[in-house]
Amino acid sequence: MKRQRKLWVAVILLAGFHGLVLCAGFFAPYSFSAQDRELPFAPPTRIHFFDAQGKFHARPFVYGLKDNPAIFGAYETDSAAIYPVHFFVQGARYKIAGLFPSHLHLFGVGAPGRIFALGSDAYGRDQFTRFLYGGQISLAAGWIAATLSVLLGIIIGSLAGFYGGWIDDVLMRGGELFLALPWLYLLFAVRAALPLQIAQWEVFLLLVAVIGLIGWARPARLIRGAVLSAKERNFVTAARAFGASDFYLLRRHVLPQTYGILLTQMTILIPQYILAEVTLTFLGLGVGEPMPSWGSLLASLQQYYVLSSYWWMFVPAVLLIPVFLAYYIAADALQERLKSVPL
Amino acid sequence: MRNSGHEALVRIRGLGKRYVQRRPLTRTKFTIEALENVDLTIRRGTTLALVGESGAGKSTLVRCLCLIEKPTSGEIWFDGVNLPALGRKELLPVRRQIQIIFQDPTSALNPRFTAGEIIAEPLAIRHEGTKQQRRQRALELMEQVGLCAKDENKLPLEFSGGQRQRLAIARALALEPKLLILDEALSSLDLANQEMILRLLGDLQARHALTYVHVSHDLRMVGDLADEVAVMLEGKIVEQKRTVDLFLHAEHPYTQDLLDAARPHESLCQDIRRERIA
Amino acid sequence: MRYLTKRLLHAAWLLIAISFFSFALLQWAPGNFFDALRMNPRVSAQTVAGLRAEHGMNRSFPVRYARWAGSMLRGDMGVSLSYNSPVAPLLWARARNTLLLTSTSTLLAWLLAIPLGIWSAANKGKWGDRACVFATSTLLTIPDLLLFLVLLLLAARTGWFPTGGMVSTDFGDFGFWSKVKDMAVHLALPCVGLAVVTLPVLVRHIRSAMIEALEAPFIRAARGHGIPRRRLLLRYALQAASNPLISLLGFSIATMLSASVIVEVIMSWPGLGPLMVQAILSRDVYVVVGVVTLSSVFLVAGNLFADVLLFVSDPRIRVE
Repeated sequence: MKRQRKLWVAVILLAGFHGLVLCAGFFAPYSFSAQDRELPFAPPTRIHFFDAQGKFHARPFVYGLKDNPAIFGAYETDSAAIYPVHFFVQGARYKIAGLFPSHLHLFGVGAPGRIFALGSDAYGRDQFTRFLYGGQISLAAGWIAATLSVLLGIIIGSLAGFYGGWIDDVLMRGGELFLALPWLYLLFAVRAALPLQIAQWEVFLLLVAVIGLIGWARPARLIRGAVLSAKERNFVTAARAFGASDFYLLRRHVLPQTYGILLTQMTILIPQYILAEVTLTFLGLGVGEPMPSWGSLLASLQQYYVLSSYWWMFVPAVLLIPVFLAYYIAADALQERLKSVPL
Repeated sequence: MRNSGHEALVRIRGLGKRYVQRRPLTRTKFTIEALENVDLTIRRGTTLALVGESGAGKSTLVRCLCLIEKPTSGEIWFDGVNLPALGRKELLPVRRQIQIIFQDPTSALNPRFTAGEIIAEPLAIRHEGTKQQRRQRALELMEQVGLCAKDENKLPLEFSGGQRQRLAIARALALEPKLLILDEALSSLDLANQEMILRLLGDLQARHALTYVHVSHDLRMVGDLADEVAVMLEGKIVEQKRTVDLFLHAEHPYTQDLLDAARPHESLCQDIRRERIA
Repeated sequence: MRYLTKRLLHAAWLLIAISFFSFALLQWAPGNFFDALRMNPRVSAQTVAGLRAEHGMNRSFPVRYARWAGSMLRGDMGVSLSYNSPVAPLLWARARNTLLLTSTSTLLAWLLAIPLGIWSAANKGKWGDRACVFATSTLLTIPDLLLFLVLLLLAARTGWFPTGGMVSTDFGDFGFWSKVKDMAVHLALPCVGLAVVTLPVLVRHIRSAMIEALEAPFIRAARGHGIPRRRLLLRYALQAASNPLISLLGFSIATMLSASVIVEVIMSWPGLGPLMVQAILSRDVYVVVGVVTLSSVFLVAGNLFADVLLFVSDPRIRVE
């Protein structure tokens, strides 16, 4: 029972997070490429209810920032400049689901005030906004690549398991090859083969395709196992005796036995692939500017002065932990379920 | 007991089945002769019992007969047609005439299908009739085998072992077969269920003029229900006779051994009776 | 003996397939170094064509592969297009550094994982074990990137460790022991990082292998005989669990190699990782292929080593 509850909590949290990211346009106060060259590396903006004179404001507000004369590159708050936080404001234009234009944002402050929930980066871009939009890229990469791997795994695994013989030998040998290589090197090798001068979204698609296409071996092996045991079951033999075609047997009897494995594999692969995309982009080999992947958010941390002075740049990485945790919990719970199913 | 004046439905001549396997580590090939030069005649409307110990090749023989496996040599003449020579398309109409019931009813039924779906499946595979018609037929068959029609939406696990075997029988009857093979179909049932299923099978045989092949290693059951008995040993048929003839005038030494092994309780009963009287 | 030859052949086939695969990949690449060069307006088309012919890029695919394979076997890995020098010496220098890093961290990881895994399995269910399981699960959810960055931050803030590189700038002036110490200090952080990243998976597997071994009937029989617990644990159970663990060794080398790239880039350790990244960005074909092949060789060699270890430790395999 406890495990059931853990699973549902994880699923709900994940759904909530994905929903947040999907509606990045609404939840984020700015567009992901909006820069404010006056405010590079600004710390996260604090919300106040009491102003410098001790007066209570019902509506929360933020202070403006001005350069700190004492410390180079740092800021101090300007208590004279009060910018109240408004909700459901009109802001930068974005498209819902890429189709419907809208201006509505959940919260925002009037210009020239800025509300940097997670601070800003070297170009004064709001990290919170970029975190949400970056999530779109990185999560999509994870999901699409995982789907690709699993699809390929189904096809190859069921062919190998169902027909056996030399098909099985050849396919599994091929799979061994993919498993034998260190995945990052494999990724590099294929990435190196991609042309450098192509559109960003093409890079994204190709990247995702590559990540997905090299990871088919493990799901394929698991599915092959399930198919092997399923095809020996007597109800499959009986159906064959009725004159069922191979395709029918696979579709109606054999593959339904693999659904549990497929689901579990998805929950295991998605976080792995998200991390793969983030790592690649971090190293400069993934999607590039201006597309804000989580990897590019973290890339600036490679510079020493960013690493040691601007702690908020770490936050996107830390926020990944609960996301991955939720996926792992879901995967664990699903595997337990799989084991206890009496088949 | 009917006489052997019935015509032959199935004539098996010189059937052979060879398996080639590799040893796991050294990868050398070795062959297993599961069936060697098997000759068998099954007469229409009768019940043939196929007996022998485990590994004798009984299951292999019936699997070849219902076209689940392909024999490596020999002929199977069914109603005047040689089965191994036919292609996939030509086999399709023949397949409906030979059906098999397995020993373990639970594994023979897909646990995710409902009872109605299971019985109608053979018809669905062949796209016969509309969904409504198939459902009607399934319900009829359920009644025939002694199951409640209102259970049609239940899953196999909701039925008892005996009921699941009835489900399997109903499914096998869906295509109106001529030959029904029962591969140790009663071994996993308790005696009470065995009795009931045997009675059901007898009914169905009378009603639909079915021919049965019972694979069994229980000679006592065989004595009750079979018209003819064929004894298998190490992939070969060593004796085939009418049941009465076999029990009284068995020729092959192996058959003798089987009969002796089946009789101890009889002689024990005789001894006890003698003790009582004396 | 048969087993060993089988594994050897298997390794050879893997290497051939890998080399073919990586070579083919790059030859079919839609863009290459020369395209990038052509983009430069100051380089004329004839120069590019000349360079191409010089590097033999004009021949057909099988010819190029054969030439490349032949030269690889002789130890010549072609020429780096951007460094304009032979690839092989470049690779070997970097490879040495990567090997140093990965072998020390593998050693460290296993030295920590084995006792931890055994102790955890022996105390299964008790608070120590549960803390261990919790810790490993937590570590697993932390992305490698984050961990390495945090370690680097630690170095920056505390000043206990250098923040990158393999040696200090005045390394050449040091005496022998100072050199060793300097390198060790630089090695510490990346080594620890890599070890921590691969530790959780190892501990988990060791723990489950030991638990399975401890629950085997023969162990219970031995306990019934009164054999002391420690001896039971270390001599009997560990031996029974050694098979899956040795296979784990082979598998962990692959993950270690992948993780080492990240740590090398972040902590500026001059190994194969940063070289590879640079080569991809500059489309340096031969370097990329060389690195992929070399790392695959390491991997296959490591797995072969694990196979040999298995052969030596498990008498059942020797008898077949």
